[in-house]
Amino acid sequence: MTDVAAVHGHAKSGFWARLTAPENRGPLLVAPAIITLFVMNIFPLLWSFGLSFFNYRANRQNVPEFVGLKNFERVLTDEKIWDRFQTTAIIVGSSVTLQLIIGFSLAMLFAKHFPMRRIIMMLVLTPMMLSFVSVGVFFKLYYEPTFGLLSWVVNLFSSEPFALLSSSTGALIGIIFADAWMWSPFVMLLVLAGLVSVPKYLYEAAEIDRVSSWRRFVTITLPYIKSLLLLAILFRTIETFKIFDIIYIITEGGPGSSTESIAVNIYRMAFQNFRTSRSGALAYIILFIVIVLTNLYLYSVNRRAHEETL
Amino acid sequence: MAQLILDELRRNFGTVKALDGVSFSVEDGEFFCLLGASSAGKTTTLRAIAGLEKLAGGSVTFNGQDMTHSPVQGRGMSMIFQTFALYPHMSIYANLAYPLIRDRVSRSDIRRRVNEVAELLRVTHTLKRKPSTLSGGEQQRVAIGRAIVRRPQLLLLDEPLTNLDAKLRNDMRAEFKRLHRELGMTMLYASPDQLEALTMGARIAMIDNGKIVETGTPQGMYGAPSHTFVASMLGSPVINLVKGRVNQSGSHHTLELPFGTLDLSGVSLRTELSSGDSLTLGIRPQDLHVDAAVEGSGSADLSISGRIHLTEPLGDVTILDIDVRGSLLKMVLPEEQAATYSLGQDIGLSFSLTDAHLFDADSGARMN
Repeated sequence: MTDVAAVHGHAKSGFWARLTAPENRGPLLVAPAIITLFVMNIFPLLWSFGLSFFNYRANRQNVPEFVGLKNFERVLTDEKIWDRFQTTAIIVGSSVTLQLIIGFSLAMLFAKHFPMRRIIMMLVLTPMMLSFVSVGVFFKLYYEPTFGLLSWVVNLFSSEPFALLSSSTGALIGIIFADAWMWSPFVMLLVLAGLVSVPKYLYEAAEIDRVSSWRRFVTITLPYIKSLLLLAILFRTIETFKIFDIIYIITEGGPGSSTESIAVNIYRMAFQNFRTSRSGALAYIILFIVIVLTNLYLYSVNRRAHEETL
Repeated sequence: MAQLILDELRRNFGTVKALDGVSFSVEDGEFFCLLGASSAGKTTTLRAIAGLEKLAGGSVTFNGQDMTHSPVQGRGMSMIFQTFALYPHMSIYANLAYPLIRDRVSRSDIRRRVNEVAELLRVTHTLKRKPSTLSGGEQQRVAIGRAIVRRPQLLLLDEPLTNLDAKLRNDMRAEFKRLHRELGMTMLYASPDQLEALTMGARIAMIDNGKIVETGTPQGMYGAPSHTFVASMLGSPVINLVKGRVNQSGSHHTLELPFGTLDLSGVSLRTELSSGDSLTLGIRPQDLHVDAAVEGSGSADLSISGRIHLTEPLGDVTILDIDVRGSLLKMVLPEEQAATYSLGQDIGLSFSLTDAHLFDADSGARMN
C-alpha cells in the first residue's frame, strides 16, 4: 500500500493511505450515504419504535417510563381512533374508486391516436406533478364560499350561499374530489402502459374469431392489464391511506373532526398534544397495515408470475 | 358456394401502393396459393379479404355477396396468422374454444368440438397448457385448430410455415393437404416458398409489387411461365436466364447469345421479330444436358462448352455452376454422373429448343 502511495508522492500517514487504498474506495464512497441514511432514517425509526413502549412526551422533561404495550392498547381501544379509521376508509374507498374510473377512462382515450394527443396528455398528467400544498390551495380557493369557482357556479342556479366545506359530507366530498383529481393521472399512466402492451394482433385474431368488442375487452385487455391495475390500486390505496397534506390545507380535519384522517390524527396527537409515545404506537400500527397490504399485492403478483411460467 | 372473387383491390400505405389492383378468384373447395416474395402484398391481400385492412378501392365478393364493407366478424372466414397469434394468457383448450363463444353452443358441444379438433391435429395432450410451453409445431397446429374449429367456409393462411424449421415444414405441407381433403373447405394459402405453392396449390396466383403477375395451375406456370418473373420464382434451382440479340436474314431469325447462336426458325413466336430485338432465353437447369453430340444423339439445338465453376452436392443430385464464356449456367446432374467431373474441368452442354423459354428482354413477357 505504502509503495503505491509513495510512487504517487503523497504518502502522509499510514491511516490515510489505508483509507484511500483502491480496495477501500468503494466503502469510502458509499459511507456518506449510509451514515446519512442511518442518522436520518434508520435511527429515528428504531428510536420511535422504542419510544412507543415508553410513556414519553416531547414537550416534557420527565424521564420516560416503560409502560409496555399500554400505548398500543390505549390507541386500539380509543373510539376516536376507530372513528378516524372509518373516515380514512371512506376517503380511501371513494377516492381510489374515483381514480380508477377516471384513470381507466383517460387511459382508454389516450390509447387511441388523435390530433394533439401528446400535448393534451401532458396537460392531463400535470396534477400528479404538482405539490400537495399547491393542489390543496387550489381546491381551498375553488371551494371558498364567497369568491370560489364552485360557489360561483352554484350561485348561477340558486341564490342560497353555498359553502361546500361547511357540512361534514360536503367537506369529505371536497377532499375526495381533490385527491382523485390529483392522482387519476397516475392510474391512467399505469393502465395506459398496460393497454399499449397488448399486441395488436391479438385483437385482430379475436375479431377473426368473431368475438364482440366487449368480450374482447374482458378476455384480452383485462388479463393483460390486470397486474398493472392491481399495482395502481395498491399504490393508490397505500398513499391515500396516509393522506395528510391536502386535508391539512383544505379543511384541517374539519368541520369538527369530519375529515380528520388517521394521518392528520397522528399529526395532532404528536405535534399539537405532544403525546409522542402514543402517536408512535399508532404510526406503527399503520405501518403494519401498509406492510400487510404490500405483501398481499406481492403474493398475488408472484402467484400470477408463477402461473404464467407453468 | 364458397367462391371468393377479388376485383381490383387497392391499398396504399402512405405513398407505397401495397395493393395495386389485385384481382383473382378462388373456387369453392379449392386449395389456392398466393405466391410472392416478402412485401409483395400477400399478407395485405389476405388481411383485406378478412376485413382487417381498409381498402382504397376494389371489391371482395364471397358467396355471391359483396363483403367489401362487411365487419370482420360477419364474413364467415377464418385466418391463420404468420405469428400464430395464440392468446398467451389462455390455455390451449380456451384458445380452441374461443371462436365458439359467438355461436352460443352448449358447454358439452364446445368440449366435443374442441376435442375433435385437438385429436385431428394431435394436440390433445397440450389442452391444459399455455401456448408458451408448446413447441413451434404444436403452436402451429393449435393455430390451425383455432381457425377450423368453427368450420369456416374459407380459410386464409398467411405464411403459416415460415416460422417453422425445415423438417416441420415438410411434415406440415402434407398435413395441410390432408386437412384440405378431410375438411373440404376452401383455402387460400399465402407463401413466399415456391415449393409449397407447387406441391399444395391446385392453382397459383403470383403476386409482385401489389399486382398479380399470373394465375394458373402449377404445371402450366412451371411448364410455360408467362413472364421472366414467374419463371425465376418457380423451380429450383432457379432457371437460367441469358440475354441475346435477334439477327434477321430474310424470314430467318437467329438469336445471338454470349456463347453461341440459336436458330429460331423452328419456334412459333407471338410477335414478329426484327433485327436488333433483345430477347431473354430461359432454360431450366434440369433441361441442360451434358453434350449429347459426343454420344451421337441429334436432339440438341445448341451445344456449348464451359468450365465447371462450382458444385453443390445435394445428396441425390448435384447442382453444377458452369462458366460459359462469362455467363454462369446452372445444371442438375445425378450424383453418380456428377462425381465423374471435377472443379475447373471442361464440360460440353446442350439443350433442345422445345425446352427453351423465350421472353421479351424489356417487358419480360413470354414470346414463344
